[in-house]
Amino acid sequence: MELSASTVAPNPKRTSRWKKRVLRNRYIYLMILPGLLYFALFKYLPMWGLLISFQEYVPTKGVMNSPWVGFRQFHRLFSDPDFWNLFRNTLALFFLNIVFYTPMPIVLALMLNEVGRTAFKRIVQTIVYIPHFLSWVIVVSITFVMLTLDGGIVNDMLQYFGFHEINFLLDSAYARPIYVIQAIWREAGWGTIVYLAAISAIDPGLYEAARMDGAGRLRQIWHITLPAIRSVVIVLLILRIGSVIDHSFEHVYLVINSMNRQVMDIFDTYVYTAGVQQGQYSYTTAVGFFKSFIGLLLVMLSNWLARKFGEEGVY
Amino acid sequence: MVQDKTLGSRLFDIINYTLLTIVSLIVFLPFLHVVMGSFATAEEIARKPFILIPEHFSLNAYRYILSTNAIFRALGVSVGITVVGTFISMFVTSMMAYGLTRRDLDGRKTINFLVVFTMLFSGGLIPSFLVVMNLGMIDTYWSMIIPTAVSAFNLVIMRSFFANLPEGIEESARIDGCSDFGTFFKIVLPLSTAVLATISLFYAVQYWNSYQNAILYVNDANKWPLQVLLRQVVLVASGFSADTTHDFVQPPEQTVKMAVIVVATVPILLVYPFLQKYFAKGALVGSVKG
Amino acid sequence: MNKALNKPSRTVSHWTKWGSAMSAAAVLASLLAGCSGKDNESESANAGAAQPTGSAPASAPASAAATDNKPLKFTIMADLHTPEVPTEDILKLLEEKTNTDITIQWVPDGSYDEKFQASLATGTLPEAAFIKNQASIALVRSAIESGQFWEIGPYLKDYPNLSKLNPDVLNNTKIDGKIYTLYQERDLARSGIIYRKDWADKLGLEAPKTTDDIYQMLKAFKEADLAGNGNTIGLADRNDLIYGSFKTLSSWFGAPNGWGEVDGQLVPDFMTQGYMDTMKFIRKLYTEDLINKDFPVTSKTDQQNLMYTGRAGMYIGNLPDVKTMQEKTSKNVPEAQYDVTNTIAGPDGNPRLWAVPGYGSLLLFPKSSVKDEDQLKKLLGVFDKFFDPDVANLLKYGIEGKHYTMQDGKVVPIADVKVLEKEATAYLGLALADYTNITPSLYTLPVMEKANNLVKAAADFAVPDPTAALTSKTQIEKGARLQDMITDATYQFMVGKLNESGFQAAVKKWQDQGGADIIREFNEAYQNGQ
Repeated sequence: MELSASTVAPNPKRTSRWKKRVLRNRYIYLMILPGLLYFALFKYLPMWGLLISFQEYVPTKGVMNSPWVGFRQFHRLFSDPDFWNLFRNTLALFFLNIVFYTPMPIVLALMLNEVGRTAFKRIVQTIVYIPHFLSWVIVVSITFVMLTLDGGIVNDMLQYFGFHEINFLLDSAYARPIYVIQAIWREAGWGTIVYLAAISAIDPGLYEAARMDGAGRLRQIWHITLPAIRSVVIVLLILRIGSVIDHSFEHVYLVINSMNRQVMDIFDTYVYTAGVQQGQYSYTTAVGFFKSFIGLLLVMLSNWLARKFGEEGVY
Repeated sequence: MVQDKTLGSRLFDIINYTLLTIVSLIVFLPFLHVVMGSFATAEEIARKPFILIPEHFSLNAYRYILSTNAIFRALGVSVGITVVGTFISMFVTSMMAYGLTRRDLDGRKTINFLVVFTMLFSGGLIPSFLVVMNLGMIDTYWSMIIPTAVSAFNLVIMRSFFANLPEGIEESARIDGCSDFGTFFKIVLPLSTAVLATISLFYAVQYWNSYQNAILYVNDANKWPLQVLLRQVVLVASGFSADTTHDFVQPPEQTVKMAVIVVATVPILLVYPFLQKYFAKGALVGSVKG
Repeated sequence: MNKALNKPSRTVSHWTKWGSAMSAAAVLASLLAGCSGKDNESESANAGAAQPTGSAPASAPASAAATDNKPLKFTIMADLHTPEVPTEDILKLLEEKTNTDITIQWVPDGSYDEKFQASLATGTLPEAAFIKNQASIALVRSAIESGQFWEIGPYLKDYPNLSKLNPDVLNNTKIDGKIYTLYQERDLARSGIIYRKDWADKLGLEAPKTTDDIYQMLKAFKEADLAGNGNTIGLADRNDLIYGSFKTLSSWFGAPNGWGEVDGQLVPDFMTQGYMDTMKFIRKLYTEDLINKDFPVTSKTDQQNLMYTGRAGMYIGNLPDVKTMQEKTSKNVPEAQYDVTNTIAGPDGNPRLWAVPGYGSLLLFPKSSVKDEDQLKKLLGVFDKFFDPDVANLLKYGIEGKHYTMQDGKVVPIADVKVLEKEATAYLGLALADYTNITPSLYTLPVMEKANNLVKAAADFAVPDPTAALTSKTQIEKGARLQDMITDATYQFMVGKLNESGFQAAVKKWQDQGGADIIREFNEAYQNGQ
């Protein structure tokens, strides 16, 4: 480590502590420089695009020459008769996703961790993250094949056991549960990867000590494994809160149909019809802006909560 | 690892194994159907909704896909982008992640917030396109790497892992005269193989799946990665083009669609098992004494 | 974590040097990658500078290439419908025949709209660019209206082929009353019924001529259970009111095409009796189990699969699809025979069928790359040639001997579909002519020939959409969302979730939330156009 004294100005009184610190950390700044450059160029520089939500943007006129309309686009969004329904659905899907999905990869990772034999563990680990690679189109089409009334496996089995057929696909009551199950099926396995990485850092000696004390498997998990990955769980949760508000548009778009639109229509699908397909750039951006804003509030809230409980948040 | 032999522990194991097996089946069967379907004949696919073992084994779907010359070039492009991209991304991300763990770094909280902010807000397609265009990256391979070089998500995860390393380690490194870079390369990285392997996988998958960048920024068909080609095969078939096709354009068979999925995903699927050895247990044992 | 050092270190550590160097290198590399010397921007923006004309005045039409010996150089943005970019044999021949040097910027179909929009917004569209399809017009409308593209209407009369373009179709392509695009021809009315003739024959049924015949046929199909094991499905439909069965059926119940005149006023189809009758018809099919139960969510692939596996007896859709359908079904059910018909009588006893506007995609000429009138005229001259028999056939069929042979004066494509796909099929995306000056192809499948003839004949009784050339501000702004309301209500009615008053309530909601404005605006535009 460099000696700060060799490069500091001769009069310590004149140099502030702050400057000293920056100087001492200059190599750290160098380390984060490429990344900062990236964010500046590719993330922040294009952010002027958000400005068009305050305009009536015409792409060929550019931002400079398109008329400014203040909050008109937002007003248009808020006064849309479907606004509250969209808001409710977006939040509902968001909460369902967070509440039902979040425990899955953790539980799965814990289960995998408890498996001693390497071969089985490796195989299951690999299998379980395969669905992540299948596109939503495939997931939805597999669902269709399984649940359709016209010869789907699930209904065939129900009938075989003497039950009534269930109209899964057309009954809006099943729309959200199917959506959540699809999300879990596809992503849970992939989510285990990070947790397994975190768990691998736990000192096995702790388990030995616990066993000496007579702790059973479940208690070991509860007292050793879980606390050790707690900060990862929280960070991932906050991150997920930040990204789920984005909902996989493709997923919802494929699931929506005339029967379930009332309960599945979210801002993303709304803006696809109302904005994107109609070439309404400003409106599309405004809706996205609003949605991101909500997401930001949620992230800030959860981050604040996390810090309040003594955890390190995401910022 | 010494196995517990108590009854409770055995019971736990049995239930655990059973549940995991069930989960694996639920997850694997549809994929197996896709893989097996790609080796079946088109007629069989149409007849049976689920195929576990095809009656007539057929390589037609693969012959169809591999008959295009473009696929080998596209494969090369994808591999190239994935390898180079992952390396660059890991380099930049890990350095920045480590740098951000230093508590006395001025501006750290702000930078962290700014990073997370980008996960929620984006300027949109056209402004990004303009940046790339003004940097002269249009129609280059770089346009499929640089614009997505750092993922805020991955950065935050890495930072969290680095921050969780025992404090004592860095202190002793400093006492021994290690510089910042030295601490990073000699101490932190070797101890973080698990997260490095994980994030490498994440980036590799990101680059392997890259599609939108290619379409937007690359006009030269010779530079297109695998996913573009494969999506063409699938999309052409699934009737998404409202303008119904001409009389002698045959949509590819279902089997071809399945083969496309196999070709698109199996290569990257194979990466994980190789990375699993980096999830070595107890890598930290013995490194911090007292 | 850091503690201040007390001991000075003797030298800058090895790692620091290396690390700094790497960092700096990374930064440098990214900057260099950006400034890689060559002009990496889309060639199209710079290509196609007009060649000097010689002595001819600028206003003379450029259809005669005599005044200009150098090939006209330009780029076309076209939609790629095949897995890979085709070989250049056909392109070279095209360039020879039209005295051009063309670069084709192929864009994969799946992301065509995005690429188009990005290029439009950044001024990097090439000299000629196709719009993906009719639905994509909405994306460029405002750009067109603000003058970003050349108005080509006034020039068309100067060209031998372009002056003969179908005025009705041209009318349908007008934006704000002006013509900005050349169009890709499509037959006007391609839909109809494809049904299992072998089943019909077994049951002594003739081709349906009325909607009631359709019902009777479906009923007979279902009862006879010719697919076996109770698996028979009457009509296979899918989740598309327009390209599925609904719209075609609605023609036969007298509903207008999108919009129609009732008592001198334009009203939307869903406010007419014909539409309601269609809904009731399908609802009847649904309750009597004569249609696939999940049709509101069935995809095209799954719908067609029901036919290919021999389970369903009837398909209402694109008639030329019968070729593929026959081929694929025969592999599973060798005795399957399809027949086609589209002459179902409407309420007044005459056949009628809804017409598409008559074009597939449209060709635009951006002012950002076509710098002057002269260049535009030259381009139009080239595209005029696209309707000449040799060029038109080249783009549609390929090269004689290589991609097809002639038999009895008709075209027979070669059997090797893969060769076609690698070399010829993609050029369909460039073709403007679909039947004008096109040599007819020989159909080895009789029912396919019949289908083609029926499609041609249907042009006579095709019913156009009177609003195709009209503009309604509210329609542009809210139309799609409002239409969703009606689509949902339609499906819900057909599966029994909504009754008549419920449907009417949805219609009223449509009106209240903007539909009334749309009706008013279309009618104003309609009156003005009369």
